[in-house]
Amino acid sequence: MTNQTKAQFIAVASITSELSAVMVVAKEISLAAANAKAIAFRAGDKAKGFQPITDFINELAKETIELVTNINIYALVLYRLTVEEFQKTVTYNKFELAAKMAEGAVHAKSMQEPVDHAKLAMQDCQRRFRRDVSQLLGQLEAVMHHARAARVIAANSRIEASQAGEYLQSLQAVAESVDKAAHTIHDNVQRCRIALSIYRNS
Amino acid sequence: MKMTKIYEGSHQWIMFGRDEGKPNNIIDTNQYVVRTTNRCLLLDPGGAELFAPMMAAVLHHAPVNQITDLFASHQDPDVISSLGLWDQALTNAKLHAPALWEGFLRHYSCDSIEYVPIPDNGGSIKLESVELQLIPAHYLHSSGNFHVYDPQAKILMSGDVGGAIEGPGTPVFVDNFAAHVEKMRYWHQRWMPSNQAKRVWIERVRNLDIDILAPQHGRMFKGDDVKRFLDWFDALQVGIAV
Ligand SMILES: [Fe+2]
Ligand SMILES: [Fe+2]
Repeated sequence: MTNQTKAQFIAVASITSELSAVMVVAKEISLAAANAKAIAFRAGDKAKGFQPITDFINELAKETIELVTNINIYALVLYRLTVEEFQKTVTYNKFELAAKMAEGAVHAKSMQEPVDHAKLAMQDCQRRFRRDVSQLLGQLEAVMHHARAARVIAANSRIEASQAGEYLQSLQAVAESVDKAAHTIHDNVQRCRIALSIYRNS
Repeated sequence: MKMTKIYEGSHQWIMFGRDEGKPNNIIDTNQYVVRTTNRCLLLDPGGAELFAPMMAAVLHHAPVNQITDLFASHQDPDVISSLGLWDQALTNAKLHAPALWEGFLRHYSCDSIEYVPIPDNGGSIKLESVELQLIPAHYLHSSGNFHVYDPQAKILMSGDVGGAIEGPGTPVFVDNFAAHVEKMRYWHQRWMPSNQAKRVWIERVRNLDIDILAPQHGRMFKGDDVKRFLDWFDALQVGIAV
């Protein structure tokens, strides 16, 4: 296996591992939102501005989970494609070797067709891989967008929390955890994107 | 890859083996090719490691599109793990292999090649005007196992039966039977599981007129050495590991 193939296997495998961490964090946000909603309810008028924010956080977490679920399916497709590409490359190399070893044989030329065919099959895999990587990068971008939105909401939450009197601390903690979670998601997804960006369609 | 023509008549038999480029840690194998005017049959085409040298060697005798038939005596990797590669190289070919092993051999990929299952009682392969008989050799050593007999060339391709392990560059024919015995005793005692299966096979094969017994490993037996081998094998106790 060449280093390039190894790198591709690792890049694809890393998507799944980074995203499973994103999934955990998104679920934490969803929990924080439920928690905030309960506090805001108890705080009543004092946390009036906070209530719509909790719904928004919850919605955002749900969407992130959905997106990541989809991306994971995509990552599996990419993994299969990587395996297929590896196999097609092995075949092409063996065919080329056979053609080279057959030099001087009466029927050496007849190997050209299988070689050409194997080359096309390999290139087709590479093309499909690059295309799918581009699409996956688009989906990762959407998750990043959500993470950025969550951070803005967290900032707003802090402002709202400051007017919540004795509930200030617990609401601030909610804002804090949403901010932290969004940060983690952002970082993980960014790592995925960097790992994959060298394969994108140019 | 060394090529030795072992029959030349209305068709040809060629033995391929003693591949110098073979990695040391894989077992040496003999491949056989039956060549008619427009078709070509590969018997036990070999492992994936052997695909390129084997294909290159065959191209001295036939173009790719005339490789129309493959035969696998049984399921072992040294016999047929190259199947997935032949499957991508050949566009119009058949694989004749034990019916018993079909679901297993398909793990190597057999999509464009047609799998022609050989029933337990055997059958034949027709290659233009040549008809080759598929002789049951079950439990020698594989539970679904066949040998190929050519009544015209009087050659029996005998799979792992008659095999021996020797160093590189070994001659292709047995030249001193008495000395050769030691090189194949343990092979047969350890690999062949059943004395009963052995007896039935010897009875069947004694009825065939054989000039050359052509195993998948080691050297071929010619003339009187064929009978010597059958007598020796008859007297040998096999299945010693239990
Ligand atoms: Fe075997
Ligand atoms: Fe074998």
